[in-house]
Amino acid sequence: MAVRERNNIYLPVKAEVVEKRHLSADVSLFTVRPDVPFDYRPGQFFMVSLWGAGEVPISVASLRKEGAKRSQQGGDLIEFCIRKAGKVTSLIHDVEKGGFLWIRGPYGRSFPLEYATGREMLVVGGGIGLAPLRPVIQWALRERNSIKKVSLLYGARTPDDLIFRDDLKRWAESGVNVVLTVDRATDGWDGNLGVVTTLWHKSEIDFREAVSFICGPEVMIRSAINDLFFFGMPEDRIITTLEAHMKCGVGKCGHCYAGRLYICTDGPVFSFREIKEHNLL
Amino acid sequence: MRSEWVLPKGHLSYWLRQLRNRASLIAPLRVDGDIVFKSLENIHEVSLDNPALLPSPKEFLLPQQEGMFWTEGERIRPLLNKERRFIFGVRSCDVSALGLLDRFFLEGYGDPFYRERRRNTIFLSIVCNNPDPTCFCIGLGTGPYLEKGFDIQLTDLGDRYFVQAGNRQSQRLVRQWSFLFTTPRKVDYEDQYEVFLSSKARFQKRISLESVREYILAGKVRDSFWESVSERCFECGGCVYECPLCTCFTVTDRSYSFGTERVRLWDTCLFKGFTRMAGGVLPNEKRVLRTKRWYYHKLVHYPDVLGSFGCVGCGRCTVTCPGRIDMATIAIKLRDLQDNGR
Repeated sequence: MAVRERNNIYLPVKAEVVEKRHLSADVSLFTVRPDVPFDYRPGQFFMVSLWGAGEVPISVASLRKEGAKRSQQGGDLIEFCIRKAGKVTSLIHDVEKGGFLWIRGPYGRSFPLEYATGREMLVVGGGIGLAPLRPVIQWALRERNSIKKVSLLYGARTPDDLIFRDDLKRWAESGVNVVLTVDRATDGWDGNLGVVTTLWHKSEIDFREAVSFICGPEVMIRSAINDLFFFGMPEDRIITTLEAHMKCGVGKCGHCYAGRLYICTDGPVFSFREIKEHNLL
Repeated sequence: MRSEWVLPKGHLSYWLRQLRNRASLIAPLRVDGDIVFKSLENIHEVSLDNPALLPSPKEFLLPQQEGMFWTEGERIRPLLNKERRFIFGVRSCDVSALGLLDRFFLEGYGDPFYRERRRNTIFLSIVCNNPDPTCFCIGLGTGPYLEKGFDIQLTDLGDRYFVQAGNRQSQRLVRQWSFLFTTPRKVDYEDQYEVFLSSKARFQKRISLESVREYILAGKVRDSFWESVSERCFECGGCVYECPLCTCFTVTDRSYSFGTERVRLWDTCLFKGFTRMAGGVLPNEKRVLRTKRWYYHKLVHYPDVLGSFGCVGCGRCTVTCPGRIDMATIAIKLRDLQDNGR
């Protein structure tokens, strides 16, 4: 692609779907190989599109590995975890292995992972909210020597809605304290019941010293950040990522505008302090 | 390089005709009683005796709908509009708005579609010597004349125009036909100054958005006030479409048998569906949140981020709004509340 054209911020790059995995009834993980390499960090997102369908903001669900298996040509593999939620995402779900998505990015602020160095890390996820947190845990496992402890509280509606079950197992084996819960049990589930915010006592975390990364439905984020603050976690170390309707990803279209900020360029990652200051939730 | 001249009125149409040979010339025209900015066929059609309230020339930089990309298979073609334009007869307030639009679209991630249009457009603005009753640019410093930020500014001195060029590109437009222009004399400066003064004296609305902003920031405006404002909102989006500073757009793909076009269209934060998220969640479902957002954006956040109000006092929303909750009316209401010590 000509250099001049790449200066067009709205121009997406072709990315081949090299793998598609169903994670639950309505969630799939797309592994894509874009035509050009992208440098991205956990918490950032891409605008993913299909011509004729439209564009949607999707956060990266993979950690960009140092010295990763480099593809023959083009860039490293990127993973996007996409829930069938509307028109565009339904059409994206029709794309199979060997098909193409179009991506541009990465956009937004990433998680301040360096806050976790020398501390305990608490990861709180709900539903598909685990997707942007997955690279955070992957990073923590890579940097395990500098992180005291990793604890994951993860909840979904039913056991079948828990995504990344392979990863959950692997993380538990690697020493992550994985605590799962569901709103509604089905046959074969003998684990926790209820929302994630009923599981604080199982996190084995010293809240005052730890850093937390949170993502999930808005109600969950709201109660999680309030609880953690109440338990004495400093507001700068309660980190969440917000979702918003977006059309451009670069602070122009106005859709994600909230309290002086654009979720796309000023976020999507915010600390509890910023959320309070700008009245974001 | 000199940047001030005098143009006898008899020379204007000749000059415009010369300009039209270089690029398309767009000017206010009367069409069935309405005044619209249109490409000019006949120079004598130019309507110079306009009320101050013309349509905003925003549509030439951010059109109501604009193709972004055209794709056929895997070939993608950006649809950059490189048409060269002169837009004649623009008002000072709209030129002030352009300065802010430029910063919004070109700072940070530069918008290529806006950049291409902006680069190819020169605005010839006219000092307002007869502001409308709805105009309040005078309180914002965005009119009725400009000290800077214009391409070419003309002041009507009766039998001649005082012409000022604000940049090199515009200076060239005069120098190429320098035989049409004369050097300003003392009397021309004096007459221009007089036009400025008499225009300033004609404003009926004196509004200080600064004091409104302070009042809001002091926490004096209760949510019940915004509730009462939003109850009068018809959600027509008229204020947003008319506003020279409202820039929100949506993007949609249109498929044809022979290809797909990605298009952007004006959108409005006052519509309920504006923030609809995956799964149908509506963060701004309550109308009061949307009304408040519009006012906060223009009065509080715009100054925080860009250093100027998101309003240039053009008064278009005053004319358009069927619920009479336009910027000027709200500002006056808040001032009255403030004066009554509430």
